Parts: sequence; structure tokens; C-alpha cells
Amino acid sequence: MTIRELRILPPLAIARLGASDLPVDNYEVEVDTTDPLGYRRLRPAETFQIDDHSGEIKASYVPTVLRFMDNDKVRPVAPFLEVWALSGRGQLEPLTVEVLRSHRLSPADVKWRVHVANYKVYRRTGNLSDRLDAKVGPISDHRPRELSGKCPNFWSGKRLPLGWVRYIKPNTAFPAIRLRFTPAHGYVYGASKALPGRVGTRIDPNLKEVLYNANKGRWLGFVEAGDTTSTNPPFIYANNAVGDSFVSRGYMDDECDGIVWVELKVGRQLLSAYARIGAGPPAYAPDSFPVRSVADELDQAMFGPLVRQGDSSLAAVEEILRRAVETVRLMNTTVMNGNPVNGLVNSANTMASQDTGDTSRYFEPIMSTSIVDNHALITLHQSVLTALRAGSAPWFADLLRNYDEVGDLSSKGRRKMPALMRGADGRYLALTRRQVDLIRQVARLPILQGDPAIALTETKAHSRGKRK
Amino acid sequence: MTINPKNLTAQLHFRAAGNPPTTMPETAISNSYPGLEFDFRNIWRRLFVGIELHESDNYVVRGFGKHRNLVGHRLLIVAGDPTVTAVVGPQMPGGSSGQLSDATMLEWSNSMARVLHRHAGRMVKCEFTANIEPQPVPIPDNRRGLLSLQLRVRPIFASSKTTRGALPVIEQSLVEPGELTQSLCSPWQNDYRECACYYWAASRPDYVNVDLNERGVTTGNNWLAKNRDPKEYVPDDFADSRLIGYEDLFQNWQALLQFVVEGKDYSPGDKSD
Repeated sequence: MTIRELRILPPLAIARLGASDLPVDNYEVEVDTTDPLGYRRLRPAETFQIDDHSGEIKASYVPTVLRFMDNDKVRPVAPFLEVWALSGRGQLEPLTVEVLRSHRLSPADVKWRVHVANYKVYRRTGNLSDRLDAKVGPISDHRPRELSGKCPNFWSGKRLPLGWVRYIKPNTAFPAIRLRFTPAHGYVYGASKALPGRVGTRIDPNLKEVLYNANKGRWLGFVEAGDTTSTNPPFIYANNAVGDSFVSRGYMDDECDGIVWVELKVGRQLLSAYARIGAGPPAYAPDSFPVRSVADELDQAMFGPLVRQGDSSLAAVEEILRRAVETVRLMNTTVMNGNPVNGLVNSANTMASQDTGDTSRYFEPIMSTSIVDNHALITLHQSVLTALRAGSAPWFADLLRNYDEVGDLSSKGRRKMPALMRGADGRYLALTRRQVDLIRQVARLPILQGDPAIALTETKAHSRGKRK
Repeated sequence: MTINPKNLTAQLHFRAAGNPPTTMPETAISNSYPGLEFDFRNIWRRLFVGIELHESDNYVVRGFGKHRNLVGHRLLIVAGDPTVTAVVGPQMPGGSSGQLSDATMLEWSNSMARVLHRHAGRMVKCEFTANIEPQPVPIPDNRRGLLSLQLRVRPIFASSKTTRGALPVIEQSLVEPGELTQSLCSPWQNDYRECACYYWAASRPDYVNVDLNERGVTTGNNWLAKNRDPKEYVPDDFADSRLIGYEDLFQNWQALLQFVVEGKDYSPGDKSD
């Protein structure tokens, strides 16, 4: 095999914060085919056990119990990134010790670099000295490397830990070339004008440590302008409200995102590839998936807003519907609808209240107050599934909100699907255009002939080549 | 195992051996306002060569070279596709629908989907407001006064020099390290108190331990309730001491927030094992 190109997979890996030393074990999320809108089942799966000393995978095992906590600490999610090689045969194959050996190379010839950063403070203040960066590499050995965040406006010698990376040592049983990213612990850090640790200085119990020198930078006491250049929504930082101003408490976290590069010199050619990583909070309902996810964004950006007929399927539509149910099931839809609670009108932060707050629209619940109980809405989604499977749901296609209808706050417009949720533009959530097109293709199949899977195949055959 | 290098779906959705599902983009919310794992709106800021846009607004925050004078202008139309829409609805109970606001942004991901798909790598007609506009403005009836320019559309994904096709990774120049998370809440714990569940209920639950009561309607706990007994839903209110507050989250979120499986607080040892 000749290596022509390298790629890192997955191209975007998400880590999740936690202070435990034990990362979350691997598991599968499975749909119960007899209850397709029921809870997905979590089944423990093959998990790698890393030898702390050598950095190799010393064993793999399937845990008997799935645990997300380690006493009072959350177990972090620490993804592996694999290197794949484009071979002379035109296929991507895992880069392994054997493949390296066939090119008279060894794992030590692989070089990794990592750059992660947290620019949250910089995004607000605009001060380049508020950027927090951690860079490591080139790495060719298998020791863990701390991603130690440096910021020009920190007190001298202070660093904010953003996690670790480790080039996993390949061995006979696990010969693939891979790197693991372990995120930080999920602590809050702070700012001060007085030298941290000085006798008599007040200790803020919210903080792991004071890092930021408020004599150098403005983050402590910073007030966002709330103008056209501010984040949207604005003022989303820990603050003390002083009059109409939101005064920063100078807090920072240990989230980050960044890039992992790998390099390998094959003959005279230097091959390289990169992937992206990020560290966010835990997914607290691991058997549920968001109705519109980053994967949907990537799909639309890669393949466009329309689905080729050959790529649509009832299964894909059912998955979107399942994700919608998983959101509905974990929302108090009665409250989110804007129903009175304990006699109080407009008692919570809801889309109904946003409509009034953002525009001059009068306050009113979104749906009829008598039909929005969580249980009733799940039953409604079950009916949609039944209709889709029977090929009798063309009406469902019309209930979906188009992306350019987010500003429609008429009674009918507010009731479109997905309902009661907020989108990236701050108004009612619309699915991606690609998701909507997929659903409409399947929902508008002619009523016929029993099995909608057959109908779909026939529709594909008739329309092949008409859409791009 | 092999993957066809042109099978971008397989690569975009690839799950490496040993990785739990929560490492996947499928588990990251994208109704980002601003988001939890990423503020994914940031990938659109540098879509057009020569200018930088606000992540959620058609406002030009930076211009480069001959486009420096576009700072403060608003990008209203690209290749015929609008970036804004009006907000309409009734102002009074029972009233007819009228204009509540003349312009609100359409999120980039959807409004630019067709532009990206048809014009990536190519020049495209971009129409800006004639003047600096601090506030959102609608597309005027007479478009002759708009500034019309041809700008190149940056591809979102990197490309392979070997296969000449797209790679499944977001182009490096589009977002630098730190920029996918820069507009999220600081610290993120603040957002778990600040933002209500209607943003991201599947990741940050709201209504848990739900049962049907004798009246046939549901009852359950607010996920942020400190105590699960009595089983009652305490409406979101940062001043209500029955709910986990800001300081609780900063100091002790790991011990206080509960994982939820099958809609219930998850405690291994029960039937979920």
C-alpha cells in the first residue's frame, strides 16, 4: 500500500468536561424497534483501558454497569482521534504499525500538534491580550501533554488547564495510530486586582483559582455595550446587575475548541491532516438527541438544502421525529406553552414571553392551553409516526416551519413545528432546509400500496435525475 | 475496514473505536442561541472573502483591503437570497396580523444554504445597505440604492489536493482555534441558570421523573429542583431557592446536576443497569 494522503477521523470530536480521573465508558444507544418513539436503550460497549505508564491500550472490556459519575465528580468524555491513510488502491484505511512498517516507518515518525483556545473573554473585550491559548507539539512519544492555557493578561506564572492530549502507543493488539483528548475538569476561574494568595484578600468560593490580573485587562468589571458587535444574546457572562448595566464578575471557564494536526514524512513527501476538537458540558440525557444538531448543520453545508431523492428514507424521517419526541419529553410543555402556572400568567421564560418582550405582540399561549400536556404531545407524535408509516401524512409536511417563516408570530405561524423552541436567530426554531426537504419528500408520498418503503423506491425510480 | 474517500457522509459521521456517542456532532445542539458545545454560527463569519460578518447578524464587523469601507454596512441579499425577514403578527388580542418589526435576521445556516451549495469557491453578487446601519433594516422596495459587489464564497470544508474533492473537516481559515466557542456563555455554568429549557431540552433537561397522575396529566420535577420530593414542577425563577442557583452551579455543578436516563434521575444499581 502506498500512502497518498492522511485524514483524521472523526473530523470533529466533542469532549465533555468532568473532574473524575475516569473517562466515561463506551456505550451504544439503541432504538427499540417495537417502540420506535420510546426511550432509546443504553448498552455498555467495548471500552479501551489505557495504561497510565506506557500510554498503550492494555485491554478492552465491556463494563457491566454504565456510570456517568464517579462519586460526586462527573466522568469526562475523552474522544479518540484515528489517523486514516488514503492508499494506492484509492481507499481510506486505518494507519497502523504494519502500514508504517511497510514504508520503513515507525510510530515515532508520526508527529502531532495541538492548538486549543478559549476566546470568550476576548470575544467580549476585543483585547488581543485576553486570548487564552494552549499549544503542544510536535509530539512523537506517548507521554500525556497538558494543554496549559496561557493568557498575556494573567498573573505571572498562572495557567488555565484546558485538558490533556496523549498519542496512544500502538501495540500488537491495538495497532492503530490514534490520539486521545481528555478535557478539563469543569472549574470556574476568576480575576482580581490584588495579587492572588495575598494575606487578607477575600476568597471567592465559586472559584478554583484566581488567574486574571485585573490591573492589566478589563474583564473584571467589564460591561458589554449590547450593541451590534456584542454577542447575541448579549450579557451572557457571570455578572452583577448594577442599574441597567451587567458588570462582569471576571469569571472564566475551561471549555475550549481547537485543531489537532498530524504529520508524516513518506519518502520525500510530507503528508498532513487535521481535525477539530472541542470541550463542552456533559450531555445530561444521554439517551436523547437534539432535534437539530451540529451534524445536521454539517450535512446541509456539505450536501446542500435539498435531498436527492435516492437519499431520502422513512428511517431518516423517523429519526428526526424521534429526536423531536426526545426534546418534547424533557420539556414541561404546559409551562413552555405559556399556560398560567399556579394562577400566574406569563410565569416563566418561554417563547410566548419572548414574543411579547422582543416585539409588541400581546402575550398569549402558543397552543390551546388544554392540549399541551407532555403526555398528549407525545401521543400526537406517535400519530404522526403511524401516519408516516401508512403513507398517509402529506398534511404533516405543511405543519413544518420554513426557515424564512421564523418571523411569523401569527397564531398559525407560532404553532408550526418544531414548536415552543428557540432557534439560532432568536426566533422560533426551524429545522434545517435539508431536514425539512427530507421530511416533505417522505410525507408527501402518495397513499398506496401498503409498505411506504416500496412506495419510496418507486418514487425514486420515477424521479431519478430530476433533482440535484 | 476501508472507507471510500468520496463517501463524505461516512467520514462526517464516523465514530472512532472506543468513543461514546456523546463525542459525535449528532449529540451537539445547533439551535445555538448561543449553544452548549459550540456556537456553530461562527463558521459563517468568514463565508465571503474580503469581509467578516457578525456570527448572528448581517452586520459587517471587519473589511479587508478594498472592502474596508464596508464595516458597519449590512449584507441584505446574496445571489438573490435575502438575509432578513419581517416579523409579523397581531399586536392586540383578536387583531389582524400586521408588521411587528420590519427586519429580523434569518440564521446563516439556512439563509445561505443555497448560496453555499451553488456558489462555493465562486464570485457571487452581494448587496449591502448604502449606509452604515447600526440597527437591522429591511430590504428596500427600490434596490437601486444598495451597494452591489461581487465577493467570492469560501467553501466551508477543506479540500483534498489528492482527490480534488471536499474533505469532511471544516476549512482551517474559516474558524481559528477558540472561535467555535468564543461567543458561548462565560462561564458555561451561568447558562444553565440563565437560559430556559426551550433552547436545548434534549441536552439540558427541564422536566424529569415524569408520571401520569390520577387526572391523566403529567407531573414531574424541574431538573434544577434541589429536592425531588414533593414531585412538583417549580417554574424557572433564579430567585426561587428551591432551584439550583448560580452560585450552586459555579461551586458544585458536578454533584448537583443529575444525569437523566429514560426520563428519570439515573442511579446505576436500579433497573437501568
